Amino acid sequence: MIDRLRFVVHETWESLTRNAPMQAAAVSTACIALILLGGAGMALYKLDAAAQALPSRFEVEVFLKMSATCAQALQLQAELQAWQEIERVLLTPREVAWEAQKRQLAADVNLADMPNPLPDKLTVRVRVPEQLPAVAERIKRLPLVDEVIDSRAELQTVLSLSRLVRWIGLGAGGLLLLAALVLIYNTVRLTIFSRQREVRVMALVGATLRSIRLPFILEGMTQGLIGGVLAATITLFAAALLSEYVTEQWVFLRDLPPGLPPVATLVGLPTLGALMGGLCAWWATLRYVRI
Amino acid sequence: MAVELKQVSVVYGEQYALRRVSLSVARGEFVFLVGATGAGKSTLFKLLYGERRPTEGEVWVLGQPVHRLKPRELPSLRRQMGIVPQDYPLLPRKTVWENVAYGLRAIGYSESAVRQRVAQVLALVGLNEQARQLPSQLSGGEAQRAAIARAIANNPPLLIADEPTANLDPDTSWEIIELLLRINLRGATVIVSTHNRTIVDRACQRVVAIDRGQILSDVPRGGYPVELDRLYASVVL
Repeated sequence: MIDRLRFVVHETWESLTRNAPMQAAAVSTACIALILLGGAGMALYKLDAAAQALPSRFEVEVFLKMSATCAQALQLQAELQAWQEIERVLLTPREVAWEAQKRQLAADVNLADMPNPLPDKLTVRVRVPEQLPAVAERIKRLPLVDEVIDSRAELQTVLSLSRLVRWIGLGAGGLLLLAALVLIYNTVRLTIFSRQREVRVMALVGATLRSIRLPFILEGMTQGLIGGVLAATITLFAAALLSEYVTEQWVFLRDLPPGLPPVATLVGLPTLGALMGGLCAWWATLRYVRI
Repeated sequence: MAVELKQVSVVYGEQYALRRVSLSVARGEFVFLVGATGAGKSTLFKLLYGERRPTEGEVWVLGQPVHRLKPRELPSLRRQMGIVPQDYPLLPRKTVWENVAYGLRAIGYSESAVRQRVAQVLALVGLNEQARQLPSQLSGGEAQRAAIARAIANNPPLLIADEPTANLDPDTSWEIIELLLRINLRGATVIVSTHNRTIVDRACQRVVAIDRGQILSDVPRGGYPVELDRLYASVVL
């Protein structure tokens, strides 16, 4: 068994060390394809997490008319709290908000003598994110309400990013993956041709078809595996660099749950690479290795 | 019977490579298959080891119906045969020792068995001293002996050699035939294709003449010289 394994490994090594430029082309294309797919996968995972997390923070901010009294504000709070779709309603009285504003801007401006320009504010949180637009519309129509502000714009940003990443990542990654598959197939095919004598000798001495094909399949798997390991390393490194930049650009992404754990990338991409390489090589041997 | 062909035809396109050929070779026999280039000798050999299927007829080798065997059943048949093909005799980057060992390793021999068998078989073909040489360093006769060594390394009961004396001088050709006769004396059935009349005459073994895909004559062992003269007169060599 060990002798047979040694023979197969030796034959695989012989295959890998022939046609070095083709081997390099196959490995690098597989690597780039997997970087795009892996990067897109990681970004999509993060954006999906963002899309899931943002709605829980979606709250409607309801600003009341300046003419509304404190008693009216309290009554409206109680009314809204009774709505089935609403989980919670918080009242920020205009006086409290003004005091906070004054404290915040104290270093730059003296607001002590200014009249309070702020209205009473209700912060309304819905139970189910999908109900947010309808609830916001209903609140807008109430007579005491001056303005309703929701955070749907943030969600739209996340969803747009998600769509962009999906199209670019899966589209370009898919195309490159196809190119990598064709290259691996072609490399294995060329190796088979360059090792035609060995294949013929093995066939004539009575080696089984499986044992003749196995070294070529392992060659394809190795190409995919090396491409996958390189892709995983580069993806993780690039993700660490990009994540800082992205969270600076879109501050709301900062508090999101963490993305894919690094081990998933480190195991996933090489496994995917090895599987696709093995599959291509198997296909090539089916066509070109006969006894 | 070691080999039995029953009314075998092989057609390439519209051309017959073999036409209704019937042939029996008993176990332990030595047979020369003679004929001009393109007569059908190589096609007949390919039928024996299953590389080509007959268009019609039956091919039996060592009791197995080769015409019916599936591709996955061919390896076990080929392990009982030593095949010295006309093409790709030796792997150019491997030494003589490695070339012989390669075939054994490919069919799962353990490393200790490989060492033992390679030494035995190289001694048999007289290539002990050339064991570490590359094929490019060998003479034509030595290269052919190395190819035979690889073919008989797992001690097969049937040896098929396709033109083993092609491009060799008369003395070297006879050395190769002597080696094949020694292998035959050890019990193996040997079938050799050639168009070298001198060695056929000298070996005094059974001779089957083939021309344009048909067997023209079949001269038994010791049939020399009258039938052989007639045979050669009928075949364009």
